[in-house]
Amino acid sequence: MTPNPCRIGRLATIVAIAGIVAVTGGCAANPSDGVTTLNFFQFKGEALEDFDDMIAGFEAENPDIKIVQNQVADADTLIRTLLVKDRVPDIITLNANGNFGRLAQAGVFKDFSEEPVLRTINPAVQDILADLGTFGDEVNGLGYVNNANGVIYNKAIFAEQGLEPPETWDEFLAVCDQLQAAGIQPFYGTLADSWTGIPSWNALGAYPAQDGFFDKMRDEGENVGPDSEVSFEKDFAEVMDRQYQLYSYMQDGYRGRTYDDGNAAFANGEAAMLLQGIWATNPIKQVNPDIEMGIFPYPTDDAADRLLVSGVDVVFTMGKESPHEEAAMRFIDYAFRTDVIETFAASQNMVPSVEGAQLSDDPALQSVKPFFDNGQITGFIDHQIPPAIPLIPTDQQFLFDGDVEKALRTLDSEWRKVAARTIPVTTGDDQ
Amino acid sequence: MTLTQAVRSTAVESKAQRRATRTRTETGRAPSAYYWMVWPAVIAFAFFHTLPVVVGIFFSFTNYPGYGAWNFVGLSNYVNLFKDDRVLQAYGFSFLFAIVATVLTNAISLAIAMGLNAKIRARNFFRGVYFVPYVLAILVIGYVFQFFFSNSLPKILSGIPLFADNILTNETWAWTAIVALAVWQACAFSIIIYLSGLQTIPAELYEAASLDGASSGRQFRSITFPLISAFFTINVVLSLKGFLQVFDPIVALTNGGPGTSTESVTLLIFRGGFSGGEFAYQTANAVVFFIVITIVSLFQFRVLQRREADF
Repeated sequence: MTPNPCRIGRLATIVAIAGIVAVTGGCAANPSDGVTTLNFFQFKGEALEDFDDMIAGFEAENPDIKIVQNQVADADTLIRTLLVKDRVPDIITLNANGNFGRLAQAGVFKDFSEEPVLRTINPAVQDILADLGTFGDEVNGLGYVNNANGVIYNKAIFAEQGLEPPETWDEFLAVCDQLQAAGIQPFYGTLADSWTGIPSWNALGAYPAQDGFFDKMRDEGENVGPDSEVSFEKDFAEVMDRQYQLYSYMQDGYRGRTYDDGNAAFANGEAAMLLQGIWATNPIKQVNPDIEMGIFPYPTDDAADRLLVSGVDVVFTMGKESPHEEAAMRFIDYAFRTDVIETFAASQNMVPSVEGAQLSDDPALQSVKPFFDNGQITGFIDHQIPPAIPLIPTDQQFLFDGDVEKALRTLDSEWRKVAARTIPVTTGDDQ
Repeated sequence: MTLTQAVRSTAVESKAQRRATRTRTETGRAPSAYYWMVWPAVIAFAFFHTLPVVVGIFFSFTNYPGYGAWNFVGLSNYVNLFKDDRVLQAYGFSFLFAIVATVLTNAISLAIAMGLNAKIRARNFFRGVYFVPYVLAILVIGYVFQFFFSNSLPKILSGIPLFADNILTNETWAWTAIVALAVWQACAFSIIIYLSGLQTIPAELYEAASLDGASSGRQFRSITFPLISAFFTINVVLSLKGFLQVFDPIVALTNGGPGTSTESVTLLIFRGGFSGGEFAYQTANAVVFFIVITIVSLFQFRVLQRREADF
């Protein structure tokens, strides 16, 4: 039998039609009964129910708007894909990390600078967002709730030893020595999870990183090194020394323990302090609901210079030129209402960004309140470091071997390499 | 076609091709049913494999970050690859890991296969047991192993500092733990291939050899190993190729750490390309890695097939 060309042709047609059906079948027409349906892109899995409650409250007051929450895993990747396809969700929440900054710089988000809601937000929070990157002078996101990265301490142990949260570096070391002398483990180290070294690095590094350190680093680019105006080798030696000093107060075998081990041990009173942030308080309470914790910022030489490292955990934004801009803004205004944000922040154990919104009476949150009130907060510095630089493994390695020079040399050389191979996109207009 | 035939056909490929040409001219074209079987596979392969590869090669000449605008940048991604010591370190690790794991896997599985081929009690039960690791999901097993290395071993061997302090966090020796997991799992499949090879050897050869007074060591060297050498070739080539691309055991055990000491090429491509935002740069790395693996595999085939026994 000879092959039948018609048959092959027919087969190709069937395959092609099947493909078209599969691609277009997913689209559904918008209902046109006067109700605007908004697509709400939401990254935070643990806040799913809180947002459901918020939406229910909003829809009760605004019957002409319906909001569909899309909670996704790996939101950073998905939002990029959606932006490439020009299918921008009507309302977006993201974690304000370096990725958010790069998207904002690309000019894909709305400019909120004329919105009245902006004036209700703590300016220090908006500064953290602006540091990540914006499109020109625009305001591309609204900080919603913040976390706090400090030293968590066990209030009962501190009271028993007659200790106060230290304010200067020397006091900090004195506290550690006193605890050790009393047979109490000062810290619980968890380096089997490599990232657990980073919170303390971020907090100690926040001090030399003030005054535009990373702007200068970006200007230096390929020339970053021991002889450039700024560099890790030049400005971060003390940070590394201090971090290593803190790790000398860890328990035996801290290299093999994980984040979960650390939370459980701290909850059971096996250590007086934990080099983590406010995100650890929930898992700790799950182990021991009765524990009393506080958080203090990492001390530096002068008590007045102390800064609390805080990240914007949830940022609200929306696409530029969204067709449902007015409706989406109504939802955002609702979300930033004092009572709404207070409920959300209390449930998520975070600090609300709206000025005048009350913190929950959780003692850990209350202990960081003054720093937010005084604007003594600063952002996570690892958000300023290109993700292609292996910062977490390098710091973990450093905490293992204590080789300051090697670690800083690695960071500088990775910075140079990334700067050298990052070729900016040129558009036709530039040429 | 059985696996045995598949393995052997590599050696007699050219002869078979000549014969096939003749057969086709003699009998005309094959029935149309064969086209129905072949075309969907070709289309699916081209669409899901060849096309993405070509697209990937295309993007390796750009500065595409995974989203947004991009330009052509010529060969600079490739030039930068050779200047990147982190990439070179990853290649070094991958090759060290692959060579050690290939040697261990083949030595262990050949030994176990000979045992399972002998007349032992509950032979089928043991054959089943040895295949279990291949069926289990590597990530699940990985977390079991991780618990074993970081919690059980430090207690069992608390006298040995290397194990007492969690070997996975030891910069110098963490890779051996990954080798242990990878070999443990890979042996299952190699054993199956060796077993099928051992079963092709006629028992008469051993009878004749023992009548001639050959020791069991001599029998292995002169009968067993030469007759399964085609299986040895395929096992070594497949193992090395698989181990060079090692990914999930590392993710499950150390995630590339401590530091970047157990970062394989595939892990680096994944990390740098997806979370590192250097899509085009790591795509160039993937293209280079693809070429390296192809060359290594072809080289192995040439060397190993030359010393295969002819039947």
